[in-house]
Amino acid sequence: MGRYIVRRSIQSFFLLWLATLISFTVYQLAPGGPIQFLDDDPRATSEDSNRLARLYGLDRPKLFPPAQYIAWLTGEDWLPKNETWRSGRCLSDESRCGRGILRLDFGRSFFYKGQPAIDPILERIPATLTLAVASLILGMVIGIPLGIVAALNRGRMPDHLIRVTTVLINTVPDWWLGLLLLIFLGGYLGLVPLSGMYDIGDGSLLDRLHHLILPALVAATGGWIGYSRILRFEMLEVLNQDYVRTARAKGLAERWVMIRHVLRNALMPFVTGFGGIFVLFLSGSVLFETVFSWPGMGRLFITAINSRDYPVMMAIFVIGSFFGIIGLLVVDILYSVVDPRVKYDVSR
Amino acid sequence: MALHTLTGVQIFPLFASDAGVTGRSSLREADPLSLPKSSAKTASQVREQTYWGAVGAKLWRDKITMAAVFLLLFMITITLAAPWIAKNLLGFDPIDTNLRTRNKPPTWLTAEGRQICFSSPFGKCNWLGTDEAGRDVLTRGIYGGRISLRIGAYVASISMTLGVIVGLISGYYAATFIDDIINAIIQTLGSIPQLFLLIILAGTFPFFRTPEGLSLLIGALGWMGLSRLLRGQIFSIREREYVVASRGIGASIWRVMFRHILPNVSSIIIVIAVFDIAGAIIAEAGLSFLGVGIGPPNPSWGNMMQGSLGNFTDAPWLVIAPGIFIFLTTLSIYLIGDGLRDALDPWVKTGVPSK
Repeated sequence: MGRYIVRRSIQSFFLLWLATLISFTVYQLAPGGPIQFLDDDPRATSEDSNRLARLYGLDRPKLFPPAQYIAWLTGEDWLPKNETWRSGRCLSDESRCGRGILRLDFGRSFFYKGQPAIDPILERIPATLTLAVASLILGMVIGIPLGIVAALNRGRMPDHLIRVTTVLINTVPDWWLGLLLLIFLGGYLGLVPLSGMYDIGDGSLLDRLHHLILPALVAATGGWIGYSRILRFEMLEVLNQDYVRTARAKGLAERWVMIRHVLRNALMPFVTGFGGIFVLFLSGSVLFETVFSWPGMGRLFITAINSRDYPVMMAIFVIGSFFGIIGLLVVDILYSVVDPRVKYDVSR
Repeated sequence: MALHTLTGVQIFPLFASDAGVTGRSSLREADPLSLPKSSAKTASQVREQTYWGAVGAKLWRDKITMAAVFLLLFMITITLAAPWIAKNLLGFDPIDTNLRTRNKPPTWLTAEGRQICFSSPFGKCNWLGTDEAGRDVLTRGIYGGRISLRIGAYVASISMTLGVIVGLISGYYAATFIDDIINAIIQTLGSIPQLFLLIILAGTFPFFRTPEGLSLLIGALGWMGLSRLLRGQIFSIREREYVVASRGIGASIWRVMFRHILPNVSSIIIVIAVFDIAGAIIAEAGLSFLGVGIGPPNPSWGNMMQGSLGNFTDAPWLVIAPGIFIFLTTLSIYLIGDGLRDALDPWVKTGVPSK
């Protein structure tokens, strides 16, 4: 198992590195940039565009992309003092060298008037995590009972009802369901607020929960559908096992058979689904945050894309991938600790 | 009845729930406990038909699937005939804006509107209202279907091709380093938040905002479920006697793959490809809704909703109408996929020697 953890960690680091590489490559190939806006402005002189180029570190001769990648990744301050490795800004003033994304310096935002690209992201991470955690919990709270009910009533009415409902929900985009609920519950009935995380001037816990409930419920849709389906399948699998028959045969009350033997074993593989759902959730956050005007990372991502704010865009991509990859790694390691029967070192 | 067997083989590469992301649960999607009951026909009746003839007959008897087929054919017809319908029946242009008719609710909601709609609807009656630029929503909806359905078809063929090729290779070479490399690629694509990657690429490069480019992108990120499923199936087929025999008499790898292995998994491929179409339509809607898919002024079901974001409480038809189009299309595709799964019996067929 130790070997498994080491191998899995190395793989995760490789994946993280790959994410930075993808991000950098897209950045290099991307059309446009902060200076292009000046082309449309008749008052702008070439001096202005030079100044901007220096500010954003774009005055480096585009001769040697690997050097730029290394500078972007690890910072310029320790690199050789010449034109290939350092931008003009860094050559002229040591204190203004880029410090590299490993030290959380993603460059300067094109859109937010040159403030560090990481700042607006750090501001929004709590909002995204709040929504993520709330909908993960809601997903389990709804999905686990549904899965149990479906498994215990296999082939009967409740099972069919749950299955047909989940399929119907799956045939429409879940963010569209969110929009519909927003129109009816928020617009016509006025039960929930239409946007945002809290009312300005309020911000009490109750107010925040009031704003959170609908977004979390809608974002949890994919989660509870997945959970209930996995759990139903796992429970039916476990119910056929010998140890369940043994437990029943020795006269254990049905409730304890369910809790001690069936549920406990059925929930094990459940943990693996968790990591994947976490990654999917990060992805989905972009859509849900747009629908509910939730001030999180996902919505910032869309704003950044639409304003061609590449540094912010790349930073969110790298940070989002980081969360996804680390989330999967933690879940996998936890799984191998929780369930000692799993032998990872035996290949296939 | 098809509805009773609606279990989950949905391969929703992007937005939905549980399909094959972590790998360990991917092969379990074939839920053996809810397999359809074998049809009541006697063996002699079956033997008179070819396999595909039997499949066709079974589909024809399945009322829900046939209804879904007609619904889908209807959607395809109105989208294909969109220019003719817009010109001769509705009287609107999908792209021309008109500031005087912005955000008008469906005309038939008022009494006088009903009179217009039932007496002289041409060019006057907006059955589904107008959007924020004064364009008729119904006209844009049927035009939007052209793009959405096209993307669905493209993505399904791209991801099917990739999935089959990779699945065949990794299944045939299972437990070798080729298989390891493929596994690593699949795991990589699974652990980077895919929507982020899609948005970054589609948002940065204009090519990916054309229908072809977008399909390429969605398809290239959506083949993993199929290839994983195939790998498992092929891994077991590879050891069957007829494959071993074929190799024994000196058949080439390609012959074994295409003559003996591929026909045995063709039903799985068809079913997954059908579900892929629905997944792609939903994915396109999401991306266009975010403004990184099909761009204005061309309508697609996703970007029709994008324009509604500022005023959806005043003009809810802008959200509801495109969603209903998506719902009708994906529902019919789902039901067809489900009916096909019953008819083709993919999971059973690979478990039992077929001839």
